[in-house]
Amino acid sequence: MGVPSLMEKAVINDEAVQIHLQQIDKSFGEKTVLNNLSLEIESGEFVVIVGKSGSGKSTLLRLVAGLEEATSGQITFNDKSIKDSKSSATMMYQDSRLLPWKTVLNNVGLGLKGNWKDQAEKTLDLVGLLSFKDQWPSTLSGGQQQRVALARALVHKPSLLLLDEPLSALDALTRMDMQNLIEKLWLSQGFTALLVTHDVREAVKLADRIILIEDGDITLNIKNTGKRPREFSDVSLVQMEKKILEKIMKS
Amino acid sequence: MNNKIIPKIIPWIIPIGTVIVWQIVSANEWVSTRLVPAPFTVLTSFYHLVMSGELFYHMEISLARALIGLLIGGGIGFILGIANGLSKFSYLFTDTSLQMVRNIPNLALIPLVIIWFGIDEGAKVFLVAIGVMFPIYINTLHGIKNIDAGFIEMGKMYGLKGWALFKEILLPGALPSIFVGLRYALGIMWITLIVAETIATSRGVGYLAMTAQQFMQSDIILITIILYALFGKVADLIAQWGERKALRWHKSYIK
Ligand SMILES: Nc1ncnc2c1ncn2[C@@H]1O[C@H](COP(=O)(O)OP(=O)(O)OP(=O)(O)O)[C@@H](O)[C@H]1O
Ligand SMILES: [Mg+2]
Repeated sequence: MGVPSLMEKAVINDEAVQIHLQQIDKSFGEKTVLNNLSLEIESGEFVVIVGKSGSGKSTLLRLVAGLEEATSGQITFNDKSIKDSKSSATMMYQDSRLLPWKTVLNNVGLGLKGNWKDQAEKTLDLVGLLSFKDQWPSTLSGGQQQRVALARALVHKPSLLLLDEPLSALDALTRMDMQNLIEKLWLSQGFTALLVTHDVREAVKLADRIILIEDGDITLNIKNTGKRPREFSDVSLVQMEKKILEKIMKS
Repeated sequence: MNNKIIPKIIPWIIPIGTVIVWQIVSANEWVSTRLVPAPFTVLTSFYHLVMSGELFYHMEISLARALIGLLIGGGIGFILGIANGLSKFSYLFTDTSLQMVRNIPNLALIPLVIIWFGIDEGAKVFLVAIGVMFPIYINTLHGIKNIDAGFIEMGKMYGLKGWALFKEILLPGALPSIFVGLRYALGIMWITLIVAETIATSRGVGYLAMTAQQFMQSDIILITIILYALFGKVADLIAQWGERKALRWHKSYIK
């Protein structure tokens, strides 16, 4: 895969959504998962959420995606409630969720209407898999499947891309490739990105801002203004990583 | 070269040997030919049945009964399976009743069905339809319920709903299971038909066998048995072919 050439944010995406979470509570039955959580995300910002397993990261993402409803509190996109906003959010999961009965191209085109083939092919090309367009997903490697899933999420020209540990099932090298690809596409398309990860290094590499969730609330909210592309060996990144890990371990 | 040909020959040794022994046994009249007709006699009778048009006269109606019964019963089973897979209410409303009816062997209904329909076509079609309905119902339901909820959520996220969601995700996801039901139903379809046609009918392959029995024509009885075997095999081959076509994407078919 090509190393991204475009390293400063070149695009201002007018559609990129600004998200405002106000005093969100979320419980499942007796169990409180999110507790009075508030967060603001700027339009076009790349926010990474870290936290221990079961801390409510996926739940937060699903709330923003509109897949779950908050028990109380309010989420707005560009100051409109989720339901009224026309912004298009798409989501990538840890598993690719490619439909095994559709070819790669038809998976990317899922839900598109009209003359979608060109656009789907272009997007597949962006992730470097155009030559695989007529194959069945099950014949692709895990990393390739995730790239197709990324293409499927991007072809909708999302104003918000939600990523729930999309890289955690990949090997280290493939993961680094994918991190670069996601960063490149974010830079060139300018959508707002909200990524959940277990990997603190991944967080400091990609994030404009890193959020740590513990006990249902945000306990750390760090801006990361380092120039892109960031090397894992950058002293400032290493220090940031250390600080976050220490905080996670303490609790 | 031997290695390629021998495995092709071995499976045929027993069937062909049987026919040869059978011919020898009956040619020497070690057993009464009225009980065990010679293969050659069977072939000749077959020729006459075909030429007189009698065979097709009976085959036609048997196939029609099988097909119509399958379409009606399979259609109802499919629709119920879909409905109960998608709607909790429909499931609660109908599934228990269906499961109760399912436990009645369909052939046990024959006396009742004869009272209801007499011996006309309705009776046979009804029995076949009842028999094939349940395997298709159960497997369709199972197929729909077992679709990964993640697929459905993902589909909705990409704007699929209603018919589009059904066509792109629910139906193809349930299809492997539906095919299992279909192939099982085909077996039941023939068994039902064989029994139903020997009990109450005036036309059909089963009727042919029954009249042959009255006249001690064991050659014709043998022909009807072979016919049923062929029907069953061909139906299964067609279903397999359809399955391969429809499930090209499935792990078991990707080369
Ligand atoms: N639909 C649900 N019904 C009941 N409980 C749920 C549901 N979804 C999540 N939970 C609970 O909420 C808590 C947080 O789950 P969540 O999936 O958000 O964690 P997470 O931070 O994403 O964890 P991981 O890093 O392991 O993915 C867990 O205790 C989980 O059991
Ligand atoms: Mg999670």
